[in-house]
Amino acid sequence: MSDRRIEKLATGIEGLDTILEGGVLRGGIYIIQGTPGAGKTILGNQLCFNYAARGGRALYVTLLAETHGRMLAHIGSLGFFNEAAIPDGVSYLSAFRILETEGLKGLTDALRREIRARQINLLILDGLVSAEETAGTPREFKKFIHELQIQADLADCTMILLTSAAADQGFASAEHTMVDGLIELRSRLRDRRAERDLLVHKMRGGGFLRGVHSFQVTDQGISVQPRIEALLATPSLPTAADGPKLSTGVPMLDDMLGGGLHRHSSTLVMGAAGSGKSTIGHHFLGAQNEPGLYLSFDEDPSSIRFKAQSLNLPVAPLYDNGQVDILWQPSTEGVFDEICLRLLERVRSRGVKRVFIDGINDFVQMTGDQSRIGPALTALANEFRALGAVMVGTFELDFNGIVPGQPLTGLPILGLSPIAENIIVMRYAALGADIHRLIVTLKARDNAIRPEFRYYDIKAHGIEIDRDAVRASRILNELIRNGGNTAASLATAPFASDKPSGAGT
Amino acid sequence: MKTILVVDDEWAIAEVLDALLGDEGFRVIVANNGKQGLERLAEWPADLIMLDFMMPILDGPSTFAALKANPGTAGIPVIFMSSLPEETVAQRCSGYQAFLRKPFRIAAVLDAVEKVLG
Repeated sequence: MSDRRIEKLATGIEGLDTILEGGVLRGGIYIIQGTPGAGKTILGNQLCFNYAARGGRALYVTLLAETHGRMLAHIGSLGFFNEAAIPDGVSYLSAFRILETEGLKGLTDALRREIRARQINLLILDGLVSAEETAGTPREFKKFIHELQIQADLADCTMILLTSAAADQGFASAEHTMVDGLIELRSRLRDRRAERDLLVHKMRGGGFLRGVHSFQVTDQGISVQPRIEALLATPSLPTAADGPKLSTGVPMLDDMLGGGLHRHSSTLVMGAAGSGKSTIGHHFLGAQNEPGLYLSFDEDPSSIRFKAQSLNLPVAPLYDNGQVDILWQPSTEGVFDEICLRLLERVRSRGVKRVFIDGINDFVQMTGDQSRIGPALTALANEFRALGAVMVGTFELDFNGIVPGQPLTGLPILGLSPIAENIIVMRYAALGADIHRLIVTLKARDNAIRPEFRYYDIKAHGIEIDRDAVRASRILNELIRNGGNTAASLATAPFASDKPSGAGT
Repeated sequence: MKTILVVDDEWAIAEVLDALLGDEGFRVIVANNGKQGLERLAEWPADLIMLDFMMPILDGPSTFAALKANPGTAGIPVIFMSSLPEETVAQRCSGYQAFLRKPFRIAAVLDAVEKVLG
């Protein structure tokens, strides 16, 4: 039996092709709808130039839109633009006058002629709303779409119709039901930041990644990031559950974890600012001479290197010789999915074995949707496991300290527990004028552990943890004995329950 | 009164040139593509043709070739207009009198017309 599947036409935009599982159908007809300024014109042009770069011929037809001179001046600085591809690879025509004088019939005739004469296989029609306005009745407009559909199929010419839409417009119009696919571009405000979303509402002839995906307009053009939890719903490789135990770089912490971290595991280090979470990360990345990656949202690479040098940590030369890479992404303007993909790309391309994320709070803040963070980070952690990379991430807590007799009260989990096989908590305990640091392993996958607080300090060579729980017990017992009579200056903070700071670490 | 034929598929540009050159005292004839332009020319002999490069039905280079092939129109001066650089136009056509890169300013249009018509 012959294969009747229709061949796909890649858009040439990596993330979009991933979402569309290879692209759109050749000879299909699609609507890209979006509010003004959402990026439709750039996307339409980018599809044309990407196609021309592969040797194809594309035609961009405008109805009531900006002039071609203006449009080319606007897109001329974008990376995909190639003036040499015009007019043989990409040509521009205005068909508004034809629409005005000859109506929809004249427009379909003109498109048919141009497709044939220029041997076009990709056509962008910018300004579908003008055609709709020209149609006397909805039935006439449906006939127009239907005729285009037939033409697209017969001429093996993929057609993409760009149209504006109000932000609250639905997708149940006749043209939406008739076309092979419907993609929506949205621009929205989150707090004071503008963010762009891409949604595929419909795509005939195969699967696609559903849901809201991010996209940006960069100096290279439009870049699309598939929703990470959809993209990584199944890890790219089978996930191994075994493997040797790895050192955290702090021998006593390895001891508290029951011998170290499993190669295919994720670990969460929770603690307040100054508790030493980042220092644990430095130890972890320098524990072995293997490719590592430090994702930092706050500290810039020079500060990270300086800290490692100041503490004489083994990781310092690894930063210098590039064995451990630092990826700095200020959280102020970051896009969650884009950062996740960049992180994954680095891990894959460099064969990274140790990933340190400082910190998870910034990821939480960046998603703008608390319900996403659990599934998204679980998917990311699963992919790291599949790639054989062990991940340690920090989670910043408020300065609130230990409640006497209830040392774990108020620890926020926020759906983060499933992503981490191991959970380490670093807490302050205020006793009189002194603030002590205590550390406990609450969870360690497949390892026999005895959860107990240990006293630790940050010294000239990094984190130093007591061999036993003697000093920690003494501090905690003293806290219980003192009850609410601790030093007034710290009475409030140490006795309130923890809440996630929600801010960067 | 001299006659200028404006051939451009971009409706807004054709309209603006029609108004602008009309104000300058020219008779302006507008066509939306090369085929229509040649038809208009039979009806309205022109002193100057302002010709767009990329158009449907009959594009700028094909229209230019048709003009040059006809002894009755071969001598009419042509100003090419395009969003593309002049080198792209020059690769396909030679013998035109001036070139206007889109988007253009009023002064550039009037200068080019003045230069060609004298």
